[in-house]
This record gives sequence, C-alpha cells and structure tokens, in this order.
Amino acid sequence: MTNETKKQSIQSLSERAQRGEISRRQFAQLAGLVLAGTPMLLRSTGAFAETKGLVLVNWGGDAITAYDAAYGQAFTKDTGIPVKMDGSGPTEGAIAAQFKSGAPTWDLVDVDPFSAITLGGQGMLEPIDYKVVDKTKMRPGFGWEFAASTYFFSYVIAYDSQKFGSNAPTGMADFFDVKKFPGKRSLYKWGVSSWEAALLADGVAPASLYPLDLKRAHDKIAAFKENVVSYWGGGAESQSVLLNGEASMAIVWSTRASLIEQDSGGQIKFIWDQGLISPGALAVLKNNPGGKDAAMKFIASAQDPQKQLIMFDKLGQGPANPATDALIPADKKRINPVDPANMTKQIPLDMDWYAKNYGAALDEYTKIISA
Amino acid sequence: MRGTLSERMGAALLMAPLLLFLALAYAWPFLGVVKWSFTLPTPGLGQYHALLTDDLVQSVFIRTLRIAAIVTVVSVTAAYAITIVWVRGSPAQRVIAEFCILVPFWISVLTRAFGWVALLSNRGLINTWLQSIGFISEPLTLVRNEFGVIVGMSHFLIPFAVFPLASAMRSLDERVLLAARGLGSSRMRTFWTVFVPMTRSGIIGSAMIVFVFSLGFFVTPAILGGGRSVMIAELIYLRIFQSPDWGLGAAISVVLVVFIGALMAVLFRYVKPKELV
Repeated sequence: MTNETKKQSIQSLSERAQRGEISRRQFAQLAGLVLAGTPMLLRSTGAFAETKGLVLVNWGGDAITAYDAAYGQAFTKDTGIPVKMDGSGPTEGAIAAQFKSGAPTWDLVDVDPFSAITLGGQGMLEPIDYKVVDKTKMRPGFGWEFAASTYFFSYVIAYDSQKFGSNAPTGMADFFDVKKFPGKRSLYKWGVSSWEAALLADGVAPASLYPLDLKRAHDKIAAFKENVVSYWGGGAESQSVLLNGEASMAIVWSTRASLIEQDSGGQIKFIWDQGLISPGALAVLKNNPGGKDAAMKFIASAQDPQKQLIMFDKLGQGPANPATDALIPADKKRINPVDPANMTKQIPLDMDWYAKNYGAALDEYTKIISA
Repeated sequence: MRGTLSERMGAALLMAPLLLFLALAYAWPFLGVVKWSFTLPTPGLGQYHALLTDDLVQSVFIRTLRIAAIVTVVSVTAAYAITIVWVRGSPAQRVIAEFCILVPFWISVLTRAFGWVALLSNRGLINTWLQSIGFISEPLTLVRNEFGVIVGMSHFLIPFAVFPLASAMRSLDERVLLAARGLGSSRMRTFWTVFVPMTRSGIIGSAMIVFVFSLGFFVTPAILGGGRSVMIAELIYLRIFQSPDWGLGAAISVVLVVFIGALMAVLFRYVKPKELV
C-alpha cells in the first residue's frame, strides 16, 4: 500500500466521517488501521485491484462536491467503479509530471482543450474513443482528438453598478475606458481573455481576432497597467476583488459572475457582450491506473443531460450537450453561457491558436504585468 | 568547533538521522532537478544561457533581491526592539513579548496573508479608519503591490529574526555595560558603542536567516502582490506548472540554491551555528 493510497483512504474515511456515515470514533479506529495495519492491508491488494477506482482531478472548491453529486455517485451506482475527486488542479505541468513519473495516479483531468492538444501531441493522453463517447451529444466543433468537451464557461465583464450610475458597459472598449467608467480593473493572471479583450477594445473585429496580434494586445495592456489593481489567479480571488470594492470592473469566469451577482445582492452585474466563451473538457491520462475503458465510459456517462443540469445548477457550467438547454428553467436561462441568446453575443476562444502559441504568449504577458 | 572528540562524535550521531533524512528527501530529488536543468528540452547549457538573456527572469531576480533586502532591514530592526524587551524587560514585559513572538508561529501563513488583505485593502480596517477621521479622502493602495508584500513578509519573518538576537543578548557580559555606565557613558552611547557591537553575531545571523528565507517566499507574495509574478519562487511555479518549461524552471532553482548556499557559506565564516539558537 503506497503512501498515496494510504492518504486517499484516510481522506475518504474523513469525508465519510464528515457526512456522518461513520462516527468520529470509528474514523479514528479505521484511520489507525490504515496507518498501523499496513502489512495486513498489503495482503488484500489483490482483492482491491479488481475494483480499482477512477481518480478525477479538477480545480477544487465547490467543484469537488458538484462533480461527485452529478457524475461520480451515479457512475459508481451504475458500474460499481468508485470515483474519487481530487481538487489539486491539473495544470499542463502537473499532468506532464504525472505522466513522466511513469506511474500516474490520475485517470481523468478537467483540462483546457488547448492543453490537451499540446499534451496529446506529446503522447501523454489517451485519444478519446468516439465509439464510446458520443460526438452527437456535443456541440459541433467541441470534440477533440484528446479531449471531450464537458461544459462551457465564459470570460465576461462584471461591474459594480453603483459606481457608474445609470451607465452600463457594453463591451471591451468600455472595460478599457476609465474616463467613462472610473475605477480600478482586474484581469486574469494567466493571460487567456486579456489579449482578446485588449484587441477588441482596440477596434479589432471579432471575426478577425485570430491569429491574435500579440504585439498590439500587449501594447494596449502595458499602457493600461496602472488601472489594474490585481491579476486574479483563481475564482475566489476574482470574487473578492469585486466584492471588496477594490475593482469597479473585472473580467471573470461567468460561473463566478452569477455568484458575485447573488452575493452582492445584485449590485455587481455582468454582461455577455463580447464575452469570450471557452470549453472545458475531460481528458484521460495515457496508461491511467483505472484503465482506459473505464475512463471513456465515465466521459460517456457525463454526457447525460440530467447530470449536466446538476452541474449547471451547482456551478453554473454551460452544458456541453445541447439537449440539456431545454431542461433549464426559463428564469435560469439568463445565466447559461451557451444559451442561444447569450451565445450570439460572445466569441469562442480559438483552441488551436492557444495550443500553438499559449506558452510564448503567456511569457510575454507575465513580463508585462510583472514589470 | 570546540569540544572533546567524544562530544563531537555524540553530536554527529545525534545529527545523523536528520542528515540522512535531508539527503534522501531533499538532496537526492534535487539532483534530478539539477539534471533537468542540463537536459531539458535538449542536453547542454542552453537553459543557463537562456537565463542570462531572459529579461523576465532577470527583472524578477533583481526585484526578489531588493524585496529580500528591505524585508531583512525591517524585520531585523523590529526584532531587535522586541528582543530587547523579551530578554531585558520586566517579567510582565517578557511575557507579553514572548506571546507576541510565539503566537504568529501558530497561525498559518495563508491566514496571515489574508489577514493583511483584510487590514490593508480599500475597504479594509486601516483605510476605513483613516477615511472616517478625515485623514484621507481616497483609499490608499496598501496591498496588491510591493508594499503589501513587504509588510506581509516582514510580519512572517520577525519571529525568526528574534532567536539569534536573543541568543546574542543573553550571552553578553552584563558587567561590560555596567562598566561603560560607571565610566560616565550615556545610555544612548552605551547602547550604540557597547551593546550593539556585542550583539553583532546575532545581527548577522538573524539578517542572514531572514534574507535566505525571503528569497524563497511563495504564498505571501502570491496573495499580497496582486497576481503579478513578483518573486522568483512564483516564476519557478510558472515555469513548472503553467507554461511548462521544466528545463528553465530547474535552472532558476539551481541558481537560487547555489546562491543561497554561497550566502550560507559566508554566514558560517562569521557566525558559529551555535550562536544562532
């Protein structure tokens, strides 16, 4: 029994204790067994191997419970295969580290499709088996060789309505206009959306956005730097910078924007205009410990509209399966990033451009915002 | 090193488990990092050459040194004052000082960083207070910049600076101070020309500890720096995880470790390890 599995057993025990399925006292006894009784458990690894579970790695926070409620529990019920959620964040480097270790402990990763294109090209991911995963249950153009789209989110403008009176921003040009819309701004630390925003503000037409003119985008961002209070790296940071009044406008994930609107009692609003829509996807690590077939089956199971509806309710994720749209109640359609009415206002990020250019672009961006 | 042979043997034996642990858990994996720095993406000195020409790496390295230097001066100065109270104050003062030194050790670095955000942000305690007494009209930018990083790091590192200073202050010969006063030296003069020079090894020791610690800071600048890659550890994170270039990330790490190693070598020329605790 490796330390990693020990850790996982303790974790799942502690989760069960928290849910009240086992008492604290039982937890202590069982945890003691896991730690002290290692030799005893070693003997039973053969029995464990047959019911080897899957580990799905996402970005943590509420996503852990939501993925479990929508996908994990149902999959275990149908197949008997346990699914463990791990919120440690599958960045491109972390996935590469898993693969290069020779003995990955991750099966499925909630990955940016452009990272999947890059990592897949380097042989670190399993190609998606489209005999198991149904391409017709996806929006056209959002199933890639090494990743299957499972949700959508968007980079949208959120703003503090109290600071602008009756004025409301209508696009990226307003985001970069501090005369008309005074106050500080917040942008994404890892570049995605900031380049597009700068170019749109600079007058580039949405249709001719890609390939991005990085020089022009960086000049715009460099000139605007003094108006940026912070570059958020995670959803929680983007929420607090608006709720604390440190920024009057920020480009944030749409999933968070609706939460900020709720938490501020409607004072902080968001718009879909010139939002930058981005797919989220699941990918499978090459030689994953839980087996390729189980992982593909999991992805297929996650295409179910009912399950995607749970994800929309819990996290505001736009459903990957268009059949889900109809299930969303009328009053909630407004916050669905892929709702036809919202979709037409937005511009999809070009994943192929990102796969080729992201690394170098991010270097340059980091240089500019950190200087 | 002083002491008899058997004393030295005893010390070596007591140290052995720690050294073995460090060798296995730290030195051995680090050799892998060293290897990456010479082999990824292609074998050779390419990554080190890139370091010399990469202006992002250089600007971040210089800023890291500058912040570390400022934090060192701030922390050691503050720690010096606290240590005097702790070592030489009245019993009540000592208890209060000890409390102030130890409590921060029990609070996680994350909690402390977010605490500073709460204190220093636009709608934080300090800005609201200054605005309500009419001292300022617009909130001051106290956080999500270098200032915030320096405040947060100094707060974290002051307790670490206290111990070498306390050790130096405890071991100095009280009679020398009395003699200076007896010969008519003023309190100020006794402090600056007798007390401070006698705690020299403590000052060097605590400055070195703070400086070396500062060079590797990650969480505090990430939270208080407003998302800009302010310090070198964040840049290593960027290179390893975000835009994977393990070779360059490894090369930066190796340079940092070599630099810190050289600093420690200098430190131990001037101060004996015994004097640091």
